[in-house]
Amino acid sequence: MSPYESATSAGSSSGSSSAYSSTKPADIDGLLAGAGYKVRSSDLRHVAQRLERLETAMVNSPVELSQLASSDTVHYNPSDIGSWVDSLLSEFNHTPSLPSDLPDLPGIVVGPGISPTVINEADATWMDHDAPQQQQQSAQSLGIPPNQLTVVTAMEEDSGIRLVHLLMTCAESVQRGEFSLAGSLIDDMQSLLRRVNTTCGIGKVAGYFIDALSRRIFTPQASGLFGGSGSASAYENELLYHHFYEACPYLKFAHFTANQAILEAFDGHDCVHVIDFNLMHGLQWPALIQALALRPGGPPLLRLTGIGPPSPDGRDSLREIGLRLAELARSVNVRFAFRGVAAQRLEDVKPWMLQVNSKEAVAVNSILQLHRLLGSDPNRSPPIEIVLGWIRQLNPKIMTVIEHEANHNQPGFMDRFTESLYYYSTMFDSLEACTLQPEKALAEIYIQREICNVVSCEGSARLERHEPLAKWRSRLGQAGFRPLHLGSNAFKQASMLLTLFSAEGYCVEENEGCLTLGWHSRPLISASAWQAVPDANSPLGIVNHHHNNHNAL
Amino acid sequence: MAGSNEVNLNESKRVVPLNTWVLISNFKLAYNILRRSDGTFNRELAEFLDRKVPANTIPVDGVFSFDHVDRVTGLLNRAQWGILELEKPLSTTKIVPVIIFFHGGSFAHSSANSAIYDTFCRRLVSICKAVVVSVNYRRAPEHRYPCAYDDGWTALKWVKSRTWLQSGKDSKVHVYLAGDSSGGNIAHHVAVKAAEAEVEVLGNILLHPMFAGKIRTESEKRLDGKYFVTIQDRDWYWRAYLPEGEDRDHPACNPFGPRGMSIEGLKFPKSLVVVAGLDLVQDWQLAYVEGLQKADQEVKLLYLKEATIGFYFLPNNDHFYCLMEEINNFVNPNC
Repeated sequence: MSPYESATSAGSSSGSSSAYSSTKPADIDGLLAGAGYKVRSSDLRHVAQRLERLETAMVNSPVELSQLASSDTVHYNPSDIGSWVDSLLSEFNHTPSLPSDLPDLPGIVVGPGISPTVINEADATWMDHDAPQQQQQSAQSLGIPPNQLTVVTAMEEDSGIRLVHLLMTCAESVQRGEFSLAGSLIDDMQSLLRRVNTTCGIGKVAGYFIDALSRRIFTPQASGLFGGSGSASAYENELLYHHFYEACPYLKFAHFTANQAILEAFDGHDCVHVIDFNLMHGLQWPALIQALALRPGGPPLLRLTGIGPPSPDGRDSLREIGLRLAELARSVNVRFAFRGVAAQRLEDVKPWMLQVNSKEAVAVNSILQLHRLLGSDPNRSPPIEIVLGWIRQLNPKIMTVIEHEANHNQPGFMDRFTESLYYYSTMFDSLEACTLQPEKALAEIYIQREICNVVSCEGSARLERHEPLAKWRSRLGQAGFRPLHLGSNAFKQASMLLTLFSAEGYCVEENEGCLTLGWHSRPLISASAWQAVPDANSPLGIVNHHHNNHNAL
Repeated sequence: MAGSNEVNLNESKRVVPLNTWVLISNFKLAYNILRRSDGTFNRELAEFLDRKVPANTIPVDGVFSFDHVDRVTGLLNRAQWGILELEKPLSTTKIVPVIIFFHGGSFAHSSANSAIYDTFCRRLVSICKAVVVSVNYRRAPEHRYPCAYDDGWTALKWVKSRTWLQSGKDSKVHVYLAGDSSGGNIAHHVAVKAAEAEVEVLGNILLHPMFAGKIRTESEKRLDGKYFVTIQDRDWYWRAYLPEGEDRDHPACNPFGPRGMSIEGLKFPKSLVVVAGLDLVQDWQLAYVEGLQKADQEVKLLYLKEATIGFYFLPNNDHFYCLMEEINNFVNPNC
């Protein structure tokens, strides 16, 4: 029947109809993956049938369709077509159908349920769906070695292009250990920099990267200035962070999205406990306190545990923040208790310090903290595993994770350098729109410190080990967490927030149940939510954190 | 109603591979929810549902991409091409075609960074050894006629003025305009503007372009609802794009109709018009081809009898390969 049926069945790797396929795990359809959808080849037929059912439902219930079109139905994870279709089918299914054992009484009108499906299994004559895996126009055919890449940024001036080229060449010589060449390239770049506009665009970003490379080449021992603990003072860090918060929407998006998810997770609970992995000035919490105050049915008892570095000058800055938040909570009639946990590093925190009690609903909130645990020392267990381990034992209702959407933890220096050049160029670009001073200037210093850490630090000093969502998904999945999807309602509210408070060019995107915020189609920060997978070994099917707390003492 | 629906679903199943059917049906149903009967559009949900991919300066299968935003207009273009030496122009000896691509979506849906279009453009780059610049034009109903055409024109001027897109012994930018569905319509109108302004465009590639008129053609009536598309949804999108109160004989959708403008005598680029035999819009597309011929313009028609709309999204059918070969020959005429 089909002219290409024979062509498609040859050489297919997703052959569900072949006799050999029984032991092979079902593969994701590669072509649909290229279109952004995750559907297993073995599920295709089933998904197609559900699509048909949904279409029939839409056709037969035009009133419900128009309600669906104008309603605020929440959608989740559109990449998974099957589950998306099912969630919509349930919208059409909600009118109760008559029980099948009722006698056929006259006068009973059958409600507007779904008309019987018109699909006859035998009729499902789709074309052979085994697609030829032909999309590999490989690098080999173009004769290009895979690691030879060129960063292209759209710049007008030749000097700008030359600068990027020199940066790449310099980074490559650093990777190869050719430090005298690298050094002379630094000189070249610095003189070129004098001919370029360094107040904006590529000139500004290049300046910071040249600086970071210089530190790496000339003063590696001083690199500790921008990494490790006890370097820049906690006060300075908080100040820069606060200005970064004001100058651009990344942190506001993070707080807003996390708070929404936490609020939803706390629904129905009277005792709630938020553990903030990096309190800073507590900027995230006034909004949550106010939202809880306005909650239908009244606010819960809120406990907040804020983790932060110890203050060297005798002040207890954590307690000061706690007092201010308590004052706010009092003013809106929310019962509130604060506890500060001072720790130089997150891995130094032990769960007993958090004093979680078994009756409360716990939310763990990590804003740009988990990546700092990815450095590994062969002499100790990986800090990330230790921390994720005790989080899981707390069995939080939700864990909100905000991370940079970047791949800055690759082993090869050149790869890290290239990625970060592109990432921070985009971030600086977005900052151009900010007109607030000194917020903008201090925000730039905040970002500059990150750049320095990524480029000029190594080992335990390199804390900015950013990894993209895909890697976090895998890591958190392996550590026993499952995603709580952020839906179209969170997406819509984040988008609205942006239009109110930020310049045009920022965009929120949905990424398989997570949200990202980026600048002009380049995601820069991701927000996701997680929950511990129930422990199969425990008789109750839940992780018994109470028992484990005793052991930890 | 249910009866005819039964026929409709069965017909489209027979002519496309299963994964293509799932892909296009998924779009169809999602789009049904996004279009409101009062003519407004659920833009937030549309952006939430659209699968997007970021640009990637690291080559994947030999193709990398980056985005450029015009600081004045805010227009975003995504440029994609194969490995490139930064300092030189593309080539001083060989001609490297630069294809300006306008994505489809009936003027309302999709973006240059939509996964389906990013993937399609990457395939174009690989097969045609071209640079592709995909334009993120403003969409309806928020931005009606002529916004999309204005953005297309801005993109064309930008591309023409990039020294790093020049190639060949004559050191100029060798530009082709291309688009599918509404993108094809945009390509035509930008080409007209270019011809009038004497800006050289070497060719137009129109992939089942979106045209219409007031009367109902035979193909519209015959194929209504049979292969993913209905007359009703076509009407909705034209109402969303055309100025309020206008009808479908407006020259934007009916360029050679009663209110159309003659392009005879204009230095209009050669055209490759691809028509899917199961597309209900085909009579309008064939009328467009005829219009070009009557105006003495060079046009080649590629009629793919068994193809439905969107056949080119997945490379799992003969039509896809046939199309790519035609486009390759069109933009690389001397190879």
